[in-house]
Amino acid sequence: MDKTKKYERIWILIIMIYLLIPLAITMVYSMFQKWTKVLPEKFSLSGYGAVFSDKLFLYAVIRSIVMCIIPIAVTTVIVLLALFVAFVYFPGLKKFIQMICMIPYSIQGVILSVSILSFYVSVNNIFSNRYMMLCGAYCVIILPYMFQGIYNGMNAIEMSTLMESAQMLGAGGMYAFFRVIVPNIATSIFVSALLAMGIIFGDYVLVRNLTGTAFENMQIYLYQIMKTDSVKASAVFVIIMMITFCITAAVFSLKGKERIGHHKKRGRK
Amino acid sequence: MSYIKFENIIKNFGNVNVLKNINLEIEKGELVTLLGPSGCGKSTLLRCLAGLEPVTSGNIFLDGKNITNESPKKREMGMVFQQYSLFPNMTIEQNVAFGLKIKKIPAEQQKEQIDEIMDIVGLSEKRKSYPDELSGGQQQRAALARAIVTKPKVLLLDEPLSAIDAKLRRSLQIEIRRIQKELDITAIFVTHDQEEAMVMSDTIHLLYQGNIEQSDTPSNLYVKPETRFAASFIGHYNLFSAMEFQELVKKEIMAKDIAFRPEVVCLHKEPPVEDDTYVFSGKIRDCMSHGNTLRYAFDCHGKKVDVDTLFTSKKEWNTGDSCFLSIRQNDCILFGTE
Repeated sequence: MDKTKKYERIWILIIMIYLLIPLAITMVYSMFQKWTKVLPEKFSLSGYGAVFSDKLFLYAVIRSIVMCIIPIAVTTVIVLLALFVAFVYFPGLKKFIQMICMIPYSIQGVILSVSILSFYVSVNNIFSNRYMMLCGAYCVIILPYMFQGIYNGMNAIEMSTLMESAQMLGAGGMYAFFRVIVPNIATSIFVSALLAMGIIFGDYVLVRNLTGTAFENMQIYLYQIMKTDSVKASAVFVIIMMITFCITAAVFSLKGKERIGHHKKRGRK
Repeated sequence: MSYIKFENIIKNFGNVNVLKNINLEIEKGELVTLLGPSGCGKSTLLRCLAGLEPVTSGNIFLDGKNITNESPKKREMGMVFQQYSLFPNMTIEQNVAFGLKIKKIPAEQQKEQIDEIMDIVGLSEKRKSYPDELSGGQQQRAALARAIVTKPKVLLLDEPLSAIDAKLRRSLQIEIRRIQKELDITAIFVTHDQEEAMVMSDTIHLLYQGNIEQSDTPSNLYVKPETRFAASFIGHYNLFSAMEFQELVKKEIMAKDIAFRPEVVCLHKEPPVEDDTYVFSGKIRDCMSHGNTLRYAFDCHGKKVDVDTLFTSKKEWNTGDSCFLSIRQNDCILFGTE
């Protein structure tokens, strides 16, 4: 190992330690039991026990998961179909779709929530429902991530020729798309969905601004619990962190598999 | 009545006129080649027949039925693409079964047909492999199997061998021809490689700038090109305007252009005395080996003439040598005779 690489690793290690310290301390703090002047008297998992036995926490987890799945499913279908049409029938539209999908990158959560509220709150139909607004806002927020993943996946395969091959074998457009194209970009779709899930899981601004505390998802639950019990709050924080960590690990593992797959393909050609 | 008929086919992409009133007839069981340089419209014509591109005007008939506005899946044609286009998420067997499943062929019959086609293309042992586990040649054979397993009315091959190395290409050319004859299937092959067209075809349709330049058997196209372009594209003809050639041979030429193949030129140390022969002198500028032939590039009073001779172990002529070149008048092709 040369010197530069050695220094690089040392720096990475220092940064990692710096970033992990607050997390580690939170984790330790979540296991504190009886507080003395300086250190706790003993450690226990009672904070976690309290969290997992709290029905409100379970509901918050379910709410968070439901509020993840719906926007991701809606956005996936919209982006998939839009890109399918653009790739196969109107290639000129690709750059416009890309432009539109990239806009949410530049919109901050506060601005988005205020805009949605001022626009839809006075509309007396389904869109003025707070949960509907939140769901819509998540669809907008995750749009760039979903778009980029699916776009890259479609770019990586020869979509037009695959579609034409399937059509020549007697398949209709939609059959060919769902039987041939979608399975070949499934990993990209899944990676994008996991990224989007991570983003929604970590959101507090949108849910707070759009629903107040009416929609108690994990972030709101954490906020409420922080007011009453700091040890329990730390336990909730650690659980959220673990879930996010699992999602990130899944994304990286799938990305790795995708790269190996492509490498294998190139190597054999 | 011909099996496939193109009637006044015009195809425009925006303002670009790619196919200009194509009229073409293909007999059942034939393997015909659409040959031409890049951008001449040969692939577009094939895609129009497949239904992947709509024609701007004109009609296409298959077995007497007008299929101009039919969708690709209703045309019952098989197609092999240049990039193989096997479905990467499916095994070779699943790829081959794809068309059969869509046609709702019973499972037992599917298995029989797949077994048979795998034997024909020699991929029986690779049926459980994924496309990325196969070599280019194997992938192309799998693509061919997938295209013909459904017993299509016509097999379309869009430059299927252009991404394959020369040796494998030659063996696949023979294999495709064998399979086509064995199954007695009508096939249309698109290529820009004239040698490939010569080896494989019953008939070659030479395309140039959206027009059919000449339709003929491979040997006729080689020996009797009808246009200046056909001569320049097929057989590496030496092409001269009448004036240029007159200056060279000091004889009057009653045509607009003249062409002769490199292998009809004879080399002599002394000028031959023959009445029906054009004779001129030249100096060897370069010599290239093409395996069994040697191609000499001559400088004949400022004009380049290519001459092919059979390769012999004792090389008779070397770069820098001067000699006399003779061509029998009957071996010259005249264009624009008055």
